[in-house]
Amino acid sequence: MVLGAQLVCATSARADEPAPEPAPDPHEASTFHEDDEYGPVIYIQAIEISGNTATQTEIIRRALPIAPGDILHASDRRLRDTRFKVLALGYFRDVTLAMRKGAARGQVVIEIHVVERGTFVLNKLWFGSTNVAPYWVGADVGERNLLGLGISIGGGLIYASDGEVDGSRPQWAGELRLADPSLYGSRWGAFGSLTLVHGSEPYRVAGTSSADPTDFEAFPYRRFGGRAGITYDATALSRISAGVRAEQISTDLPVAPTQTLPDGRIESVDLHLDPGASKVVTVGLSFDRDTRADPLLPHSGGRITASAELGSAVLGGDYDFATLFGRYEHWWPLRSERSAIGMHLAGGVVIGDAPLFDRIYISDVDPMLTPRALGLVLSNAAPFDMLGTRPDKPSYGELGGMASIEYTQRLFRGSGKNRVYGGDWFIGAGMWALAETQDLRLRDSSFWSSLPADLYGDAGVRIDTDLGVFELTISNALGRIR
Amino acid sequence: MKPRRIAIALVVLLTSFALADDDTIDVVHMQLVERGDYLVVTTKIQKLFDEPAYAALSTGFASTIVINTFVYPQNGNDPISAQKVVRSVVYDIWDETYIVVLETSAKPVKVKFQSEALKLLTNIDGLPIAPLADLPIEDIFYLRMNVLLNPVDKKTLAEVQRWLSQGTGGGLDRGGEFFGSFVSVFVHPKIGDADRVLQLRSQPFFRPKP
Repeated sequence: MVLGAQLVCATSARADEPAPEPAPDPHEASTFHEDDEYGPVIYIQAIEISGNTATQTEIIRRALPIAPGDILHASDRRLRDTRFKVLALGYFRDVTLAMRKGAARGQVVIEIHVVERGTFVLNKLWFGSTNVAPYWVGADVGERNLLGLGISIGGGLIYASDGEVDGSRPQWAGELRLADPSLYGSRWGAFGSLTLVHGSEPYRVAGTSSADPTDFEAFPYRRFGGRAGITYDATALSRISAGVRAEQISTDLPVAPTQTLPDGRIESVDLHLDPGASKVVTVGLSFDRDTRADPLLPHSGGRITASAELGSAVLGGDYDFATLFGRYEHWWPLRSERSAIGMHLAGGVVIGDAPLFDRIYISDVDPMLTPRALGLVLSNAAPFDMLGTRPDKPSYGELGGMASIEYTQRLFRGSGKNRVYGGDWFIGAGMWALAETQDLRLRDSSFWSSLPADLYGDAGVRIDTDLGVFELTISNALGRIR
Repeated sequence: MKPRRIAIALVVLLTSFALADDDTIDVVHMQLVERGDYLVVTTKIQKLFDEPAYAALSTGFASTIVINTFVYPQNGNDPISAQKVVRSVVYDIWDETYIVVLETSAKPVKVKFQSEALKLLTNIDGLPIAPLADLPIEDIFYLRMNVLLNPVDKKTLAEVQRWLSQGTGGGLDRGGEFFGSFVSVFVHPKIGDADRVLQLRSQPFFRPKP
């Protein structure tokens, strides 16, 4: 006997029910899979590309997983992937595909129509106000498809006025970058950059955690140098980079800088720079793998990054040192990806006689502080003391890291009709630590009160729009006013 | 600006963003019938296809739909049964026929007209959605159906959007970028996880006493 599943509102009549049939086997329902191939076998006679006015056709052609002469099923995955391979270039708003008959039976011509979009990118906007810099303003911009060649060019410029710290001066920095992520359509890429920094570095001469300008002095410096290297896309989601860096540092260091401690003792301050002119020459290697389906509002996947850099007199530099950094973040979806738990781990170690600017800066690990911009230090604010740990936490360290957990929840998702793709709110908390090597060897107080670590928290809203990602977060706000 | 005004401005901002939400669920009347040891559903999902999606059926490239079904207790958030079926169609431009593969058999069906292909793809006739043993008599349930047109797997999505997270690297300093957790990118097209998504919910139902 077959019984109908009735409506609670009792509107369905049993007379509507179909006649009895053999019970279906649900396992039979999964015999077909998205990747199964079927349909006619076709021979690709030609591929026609249209709609591109700025981007060179060859750039698109190189990205295609298919080529004239290929024989495949009409449902072949490579045909389905074609659209995404072209979109992955990042130069197009839309890509549509069509197929028409070729010269002989079984032959086809693939038509690819692209809709170009602006490839000008605003990477960063710098602005804010602190004791060290009453105002700073700057931007980092780029063009990802220079002259339609697939070459990326970009750069940043920032100006920061000088504050009340003795010895400070107006700071400015500029950077120019050039990169080709795919040389001749291959997995190999190349990059290069030039940077000029006219800076003024504050260092503490009194107190432990105040931001009072009279507790600081600053010394001027100038950095000029560049970085060049090659990249290799090991997989579609993994990239290996190798490069060299050469940099000239000119500085007018104070003679025997000291810090007066609260108990009246005076101790010397190591500024980790050679006086006058010095050179930094390094070689480096890095690895990056990013599996997040949506890097802007991630709810799944992860990213792992690692880098190593070695500087040596053997290479022609004045500093012998090495740096190792690693970062891992992963997102676990919850409730069909409506929310997610994210974990971030990052850490690094600096070994040897590294110049000041290669050491880990405190805002690198504490997101509640003003980040450096093109290498410029824009704030002297001390981290929030939440745990009552070491009061005089260092500004620079040789061992640092952070670990945090974040909960994020979808506020909405849109199709982009209103130029808005989605929004999330999030809340997170974590721990950071930054230590100098000597801190690990010696301590003159209890373990807890000498621990160079503390907590941080963040919360806010992220909105993903056609114009970019907007963050309304606590740390973002703090980073502009402290 | 006073905190109250800021709060009001934020609420207005978020409300306006929320208007962009396309994450809607249509409540439709579905026929739910016990057949053998299973509960089966009969309904139609033509709404999945808009004009461009319908036109795309004749491009010669395959169109695939994935139908995910979930049976929920009326007052619960965890489905007691979940099923996934895949259907696909490709137009043979030389034979001028539509080749449709349905979930019940890997053997393709050939039809002459586009409308026939659409009908085969979007008519759900007696699709098993849950074993009856999982549906206690007189308990109330509803069916959620999530239908995707040409879904994109996460690896492909990650690949397409990877350029967004490449950063600006290459400068002298790694600065905060190495530790930083976020990117800011201006002007980018969003790639959805499917060409179109249809979310349906059935009327509540229960199994009457025999």
